Amino acid sequence: MNVLEIHELTRKFGDFVAVDNMNLKVREGEIFGFLGPNGAGKSTTINMISSLLRITKGEILLLGKNITKHSRFAKMNIGIVPQDLAIYEEMTAYENIYFFAGLYGLRGNELKERTAEALEFVGLSDRAKELPKNFSGGMKRRLNIACAIAHKPKLIIMDEPTVGIDPQSRNYILNSVRKLNEMGSTIIYTSHYMEEVEEICSRIAIVDHGKLIAEGTKEQLKSSITDTKDIWISYKSEQPLDTERIRQIPGVTQVLDDEQEQLLRVWSKAEINNLNLILQQLIQNQVEIRSVDEKAATLETVFLTLTGRNLRD
Amino acid sequence: MNILRIARKELLIQFRNKQTFTFMIAFPIVLILILGTALSSAFSSNISVSDLKLLYKENVQNQQLEASWQDFSQILQKEGVQLTKWEEGTDGQQAVMDGQYTAYAELNDDGIHYYGSSQQTIENNIIQGMLSVYADRYNLASAALKANPASVQTIMASVDSFGSFIKETSLNKEKQPGAIDYYAIAMSTMIALYASMSSSSLIQSERNRKTSIRLSASPATKGQIFAGKVIGATLINFVCVLVVVLFSALAFRADWGTHYVAVGLVLLTEVALAVSFGLLCGYLFKDGSGRAFLVIVIQVVSFLGGAYFPTDDATGIFKNIVLISPLRWANHALNDIIYSDRAAAALPVIGLNVALVALFLIISGLFMRRREAI
Repeated sequence: MNVLEIHELTRKFGDFVAVDNMNLKVREGEIFGFLGPNGAGKSTTINMISSLLRITKGEILLLGKNITKHSRFAKMNIGIVPQDLAIYEEMTAYENIYFFAGLYGLRGNELKERTAEALEFVGLSDRAKELPKNFSGGMKRRLNIACAIAHKPKLIIMDEPTVGIDPQSRNYILNSVRKLNEMGSTIIYTSHYMEEVEEICSRIAIVDHGKLIAEGTKEQLKSSITDTKDIWISYKSEQPLDTERIRQIPGVTQVLDDEQEQLLRVWSKAEINNLNLILQQLIQNQVEIRSVDEKAATLETVFLTLTGRNLRD
Repeated sequence: MNILRIARKELLIQFRNKQTFTFMIAFPIVLILILGTALSSAFSSNISVSDLKLLYKENVQNQQLEASWQDFSQILQKEGVQLTKWEEGTDGQQAVMDGQYTAYAELNDDGIHYYGSSQQTIENNIIQGMLSVYADRYNLASAALKANPASVQTIMASVDSFGSFIKETSLNKEKQPGAIDYYAIAMSTMIALYASMSSSSLIQSERNRKTSIRLSASPATKGQIFAGKVIGATLINFVCVLVVVLFSALAFRADWGTHYVAVGLVLLTEVALAVSFGLLCGYLFKDGSGRAFLVIVIQVVSFLGGAYFPTDDATGIFKNIVLISPLRWANHALNDIIYSDRAAAALPVIGLNVALVALFLIISGLFMRRREAI
């Protein structure tokens, strides 16, 4: 069963088309990775699903019901974890969750129980009566999640829930996402950290220029770019590399130079044997080659190949 | 129910905002104390009167007139006027001009000539008032003396009753505000207007906190969010005003009369007016410029409304300008309720405030509806 269906979804801001005829399906029980470079239309799509933005054209169905016509039903069944912390610093952790959960029609003991459960789930029970201003970044992120899940939504949208936190908190949140999923929630997850998406998402969609450009499991996405090879060249050079010349070598599709690490990554068509030309170009520029390695395709390779941009650009 | 939840949340947040509380409560209390103490004399109806000194030159030939003057002099002395008889070589008018005497009177058979001090106006007026009744009779008797001397006695016969001719009547109301009373009202209504400052960012603050995303994504409708926030802001600001009122009544003994409901309703609608106006400014002005605009508006309105000094006696064009200040409406109504014991004086100002609140909220509501989220 599809929890979410998006049909020919379009959103315009004046003449600018932010989302262009997008079609998408999210199945029940999935952790669905939603990726795209900045300005790709990802946030606009999420905002339309969350009823924060109006739809210009097309429709969104949540559990089979049109969210525009059944706005209250849709809102009751969606929990949103915004990228920015959306909590009241003047209210305790308990009061924050209690307030937001109360807006979803919970009352009395049920509201208290759900608030306590949400606090327990994110590991903040012992800090329930404290103000968030005393919390670490990771704890605030966990509270941000708790405020979205107390009403037990069918679909949880998590927009960059691990931005700016320490690895320990990140692991805690990723485990929480898995646990929520095991408890029956379907999750749409966006992140700039490709390794997170690769680790927890069962299916992934990549959007760019307002359009869906790829969709499938990570294996399916990786296999879709078997015609691309990913070459890692470790080098030593006093001068910055002339990546433009390498880009002009036949077969090369993308070049990424990490000057700090002195690591050059070249994506090229698999059927063209151009490694010699690439190395020759580097040597001509007095670049000392330390090692050359051809990597298997990763999700990052897929993303870069499809969008021409790094996810963190 | 969501309206109440949002209103309650608003109250909770504002109660914990120490800055708001300090400003909304401490600021007016300090101003009541400072202005009420510093300007207390401006509100006092007591005037100290210095000695009443009358220099008189008696040049009367008619015995009856002279006798009546002697009688009247005694009455004047009983009333506290120091009488000094003119001596040869004294320039009476000059002595008055030098401030040695309050007035100088010359009596002769033709009548009384009076010269009063322009420096001691109050004292002069008192003596002049006393003398004027006597002088009328004296001048009449002087005129009669020439035509029918026998009638002088009849005219001046009742000189003993002159003492009762001066009747003291106060033009002041029995109850009127002192400086502390005045500024307790003025500062309470002024601080009510300051509710517009925080209200200008009532919706914007949710956007700044990013909580607008959660609120908009929740089943609470825009109308519920709007109503909840307006009710919450109105209540918290009204509580602040009430604290100032109570503090002024208990600590400064400011008089708030006996019509507490009427006073409360005037203040409540004043707060609601400020909140709705602030909210509207929040929509009309971008990037916090609404606050700057409101600071100016509040200061001007407070000045015109008599927050710093009474503007009741304004004249010319200023007299009409002060009428546009909501602070003046409220202050006038409160003064009428408290000092004229007229609870009905609350009704026009409540009606006007409620009408403006409705207007401002409708316009703000239209702005809100145009937005996709809140």
